[in-house]
Amino acid sequence: MNPFPVVLSLLNRNRVTLIFFVVLITFAVGLGIAITTQERAVRQGSARAADKFDLVIGSPGSPFDLVLASVYARPAAMGLVDGAMLGQIMAEESIDFAAPIAFGDSASGYPIMGTTPQFVEHLSGGVAEGRLFAAAFEAVLGANVRLDLGERLHAAHDGFDSEEMLHEGTIEVVGRMARTHSAWDNVVVVPVEQVWVSHGLPSGHAPGDERIGPPFVTDQLPGVPAIVVKPSTVPAAYGLRNAYRTDSTQAIFPAEILVQLYALLGDARAIMSFLALATQVLVVAAILSGVMIILQLYRTRFAVLRALGATAGYVFLVAWSYVALLILAGAVLGLGLGAGVSWAVSGYLEAQSGIAIPVTISWQEVQLVLMLVGAGAALAVLPAIAIYRQPVVEGLR
Amino acid sequence: MLQLNAVEHRFEGRSAKAPPALNIPSLSLKARQLTVIRGPSGSGKTTLLYVLSGLIRPTSGEVRWDNVDIAGLGEGARDRWRRRSAGFVFQNFNLIDEMSPLGNVTLAAYFSAFSDRGVRARGKSLLEQFGVADEARHVSSYSRGEQQRVALARALVFDPPILFADEPTASLDEANSAELCQSFKRLAGEGRTVVAVSHDPLLIDAADRVVTLDHGRLVERELVA
Repeated sequence: MNPFPVVLSLLNRNRVTLIFFVVLITFAVGLGIAITTQERAVRQGSARAADKFDLVIGSPGSPFDLVLASVYARPAAMGLVDGAMLGQIMAEESIDFAAPIAFGDSASGYPIMGTTPQFVEHLSGGVAEGRLFAAAFEAVLGANVRLDLGERLHAAHDGFDSEEMLHEGTIEVVGRMARTHSAWDNVVVVPVEQVWVSHGLPSGHAPGDERIGPPFVTDQLPGVPAIVVKPSTVPAAYGLRNAYRTDSTQAIFPAEILVQLYALLGDARAIMSFLALATQVLVVAAILSGVMIILQLYRTRFAVLRALGATAGYVFLVAWSYVALLILAGAVLGLGLGAGVSWAVSGYLEAQSGIAIPVTISWQEVQLVLMLVGAGAALAVLPAIAIYRQPVVEGLR
Repeated sequence: MLQLNAVEHRFEGRSAKAPPALNIPSLSLKARQLTVIRGPSGSGKTTLLYVLSGLIRPTSGEVRWDNVDIAGLGEGARDRWRRRSAGFVFQNFNLIDEMSPLGNVTLAAYFSAFSDRGVRARGKSLLEQFGVADEARHVSSYSRGEQQRVALARALVFDPPILFADEPTASLDEANSAELCQSFKRLAGEGRTVVAVSHDPLLIDAADRVVTLDHGRLVERELVA
């Protein structure tokens, strides 16, 4: 038995209505797919962006602010870890390195992050263009920063662009970091000494010493809002975290903050996924009632099939396949639409934040589509039974 | 030979006191004959046709074809019997508009065990025989006369021994009606049992036998030719 030639002939009729039905299912499924893929992509992207930030130490306060400011380059008003403490942390034996992070200024609309050449190497693996900064008033750009090498930038307090708020002197752009897929792709990175000096603070080195980066002279170190630490071992990481959870400092793994955030979002995700699936099932149910009306218009055709010798089972198969194909087409197109929308949203978010938001179609989405197709196939039995039970003679009248 | 014995049919939901829709003590329809069933509206002509074709199982009685009591078969067995033994032509052709003529003629191959290749070859041959061009365009774009000839080819694709027709000329002009009557005559002459419900004088004139019904009962049996 082959129901498809008859099914295709039925689909050929009422094409506009059927396309409308498929589009409705496509949008309902696409919405669900976009929600689940985008939620996961944001989660994975934000986690990956924090990979290079093993341990972050700051002054006591909100751990979320500390992570947002240091990892995601969203500067916030924060207290400072004093210079003596910075010196102590940098002198720890169980670390590969510790890098001060200073922020709060901007240039040409881009945030300025001050740190060490060592951290830039760690974060980006080197420069894609030009060279790494070698003097206090040199800068490297993040991969997404639309400025040119050789440009001279005027640093100003973040959010202010009036002449009075500009710092003295200019910063020369000497290179561009390789892409980091983190928020640091959207910032201008300068030596931490530039931030200190432009705010009238010591440079961290002996007077007259124009070197940049460690080693620093402890009694010449100003305070910083954040310090990124690369512990040498996992046990050392936990040891340092415990050691610097004090009255004057907080030490956090960005991952643990993200885990808390994801736990919070997890409930919302479950609710959204449920609502998305419920919406899809409701749309399919609504469409089925429309399909039942359309199938009634074909009752003469089904009766003729019976008169020509088709069994009731064949007629059932035709009606069921007709409905199931509509739902399958909508579900598959919805999977594509959802992925497409999610990719577009990721592109937009990546352009805004610099954080790579990798969209993937996982088993979860396939399951969602299979559940809908399964529910649709089960519900398609209803119109098929209605056609199956229809008296042939009535259909022929 | 199609043979009805003591056939009575009452539609469900009708009062038991009401006369049956069909009450035929005995009727034989022979091969090589074109039989036309006629009668006023509501006389039971179509009900008789559906009982003969196994679409309706009568409330009581036998409908025999060879040694098989069709009325005693289950629904699936009657479907299979109809597929093997009978062809159907309808007043409004009841073709699938979105298919080509050949697609319509070979439609039954989709729900039968017959080889598609053999059916297609026979379908093409029948279309040629009835003068219908086998093109890919939808059958709805063909003339009404051509559509009815496609419907006739569809009924004959498995070369059934019985052909049923329900008002087959009602939607045709005189020329096409005359051509269809000749086809029915020829098909009967080839050995088939051809049974048509009709009021059309052309078809009645062409018939070997005319059976008249009134209120579900046979009122006359007339051998026209």
